[in-house]
Amino acid sequence: MTNLSKRLISQDWFPLLLVTLVGALLLAIISNSFLSAYNLFVMLRILSVTSLVALSQMLVIAIGQMNLAVGAIGGLIAILFGGMLEVYGLPIGLAAAVGLLLGLAAGVLSGALVAYTRISGFIITLALLFVFTGLNLGITLSIPFYKMPQALKDLYDSYLGPIPSILLIPVLAAGAVAGLLYYTRPGRHMLAMGGNPAAAELAGISLSRTTIFTHTLSGGLAALAGMVAVARLGTAEPTIGADWLLPSFAAPVIGGAVLEGGYVSVTGTMIAVVIIVLITNGLLLARTDPFYVQFFLGALILATVLFNRWRSSVNVASPETTSGRP
Amino acid sequence: MSSVVEKEAAPARALRAARLLSMIQAANTGGLLFVILLLIATISAIAPSFLSPFNLFALTRNLASDAIIGFGMMVVLALGQMNLALGAIGVCAVMVTGYTLEQLGLPIPVAVLAALATGGLLGMLNGLLIVGTGINAFVITLATASLFTGLMLIVTKATTFHNLPPEFSALGYSRVGPISGFLVVTLIVCGALFLLFNFSVLGRQILATGANMVAAGLSGVPVNRVIIIAHALSGVLAGVAGVLVTAHLAAALPSIGEDWLLPSFLAPLLGGTLLAGGFVSVSGALLGAILVSVLQNGLVLFNVNGFRIQFFLGLALLAAVGLDRWRTVLVQRAEKRLT
Repeated sequence: MTNLSKRLISQDWFPLLLVTLVGALLLAIISNSFLSAYNLFVMLRILSVTSLVALSQMLVIAIGQMNLAVGAIGGLIAILFGGMLEVYGLPIGLAAAVGLLLGLAAGVLSGALVAYTRISGFIITLALLFVFTGLNLGITLSIPFYKMPQALKDLYDSYLGPIPSILLIPVLAAGAVAGLLYYTRPGRHMLAMGGNPAAAELAGISLSRTTIFTHTLSGGLAALAGMVAVARLGTAEPTIGADWLLPSFAAPVIGGAVLEGGYVSVTGTMIAVVIIVLITNGLLLARTDPFYVQFFLGALILATVLFNRWRSSVNVASPETTSGRP
Repeated sequence: MSSVVEKEAAPARALRAARLLSMIQAANTGGLLFVILLLIATISAIAPSFLSPFNLFALTRNLASDAIIGFGMMVVLALGQMNLALGAIGVCAVMVTGYTLEQLGLPIPVAVLAALATGGLLGMLNGLLIVGTGINAFVITLATASLFTGLMLIVTKATTFHNLPPEFSALGYSRVGPISGFLVVTLIVCGALFLLFNFSVLGRQILATGANMVAAGLSGVPVNRVIIIAHALSGVLAGVAGVLVTAHLAAALPSIGEDWLLPSFLAPLLGGTLLAGGFVSVSGALLGAILVSVLQNGLVLFNVNGFRIQFFLGLALLAAVGLDRWRTVLVQRAEKRLT
């Protein structure tokens, strides 16, 4: 066996990749519309929103906290973005920049509240979930902004060679997040804090600063996801983000993240997003009730956490496998 | 010599700290009561219709189910765990109630028992999964929430049961004086939980497990069994709330339970229950639920748009946990000064 394939097999996400490939193969055999250009295009577009949502949550999981407000921030920025385009007629670039800034600001707010009050991040972001959703519904009165500029639609439909250009956003975001976590000082600080906050603090890492930094990035990614969702739907709906809670946790957890913090896998999370999209898409192609999607997502989370638990217990039981890993 | 002095002083110090703690705890309950009375006085001064029998009835009917939803979360918070599947279990119980009444035509007590049994079984399943796998309760209940809701939708095909027997729907209009008869159910549940957590072995075992699972296990508490029972109890309470909501709406809808997340955390956390586990306040949770219902009702009376109410409830939660945090800091400072 070559060195490369050995390294591939030893990766945590290798079983996930196998599942994905087998799943895709099965879908291609069962349904001949699966590999049609149209269907692939639809899937890649869903992928672009879900992967940003997953990355947003994954960063906060890395430091051992949770961000229940990912969907609420995404939804609020989505309708603000839509409002800026429709009501004030701002150019898309400017509106997107303002939206991103507002998302970062929402992240700063929740990060600062968690860091300085020392109240559990779960509660703070739960409260902010309702504050942001209330603002969203208070502004829109639950009526979407329908008139998105044609330029946004065109931008969304544009291609860079064979690849939809909208896919660049999550790919770049995933690359940036991976670079941050594995090659920069703030990223190492985040993982250190997630692994053992007390030890990290003794090592001179500022927990408050790391918390605020992480929530800020999470808010920015949630805002991006919200704006991409607006481009995808062609309307700024107040319900954007309302159903992000499950996928936001499902993807990182299936991807191998430790919920207590300290370990996340960007590759694993992205593969998990593909699996989630495949399941959703596959069940739709098989013309099953949409209700099955929710059931299978729940079952998938349970199955993978059980599998990861089983694998880690096998690894602990036989020391050779652990020492043999790079 | 000094060591003897220390030995004598230590228990006295501990006693003083304990007394301070219980005083601050009482201050929390008292403070909550004070805030509620102030809120009621303000709202009824501005909008006299607040005290009308019609409004009091509507308020107490909502309060009854919200308080029980809060209790359902409280019993697992006591363990230091969460139950994100509370709403999903609730809606399963709702659909079972509807099915037994409408399709099977069984009497009401049987339907209620079936609903409670469904809740208890699903809650027990959560507990078994948590204990059996050792995986975080958050992940397990997040997954089972999706699993239960999905299963319910697959089985019912998202239909509603709205041809419930009139005797059942009439329960929604039962009154005791000006207030809803549902509140009697809530008070009975409240009393039972108070007895459980203050005077029963099981209740103390739940709290001990929440405070320190390892220590509890070493002192002979059957930790796994306690976790399973607490989750089953949480499921039963979700079932009770489901039955009340079904009677209130006179229909079993598959969308019930979607909006239970906020009330489930609001009531116990406003009431001083610790997220970390090991401490609950049953009367506090009831007062917390009352505060939320009064606030919500007042906002409606002031013609605040229904959509903005979420915003204010979110702020209320932030304010409550902020105050609670401040209280804890005060206690810690006081303890430091004592030692």
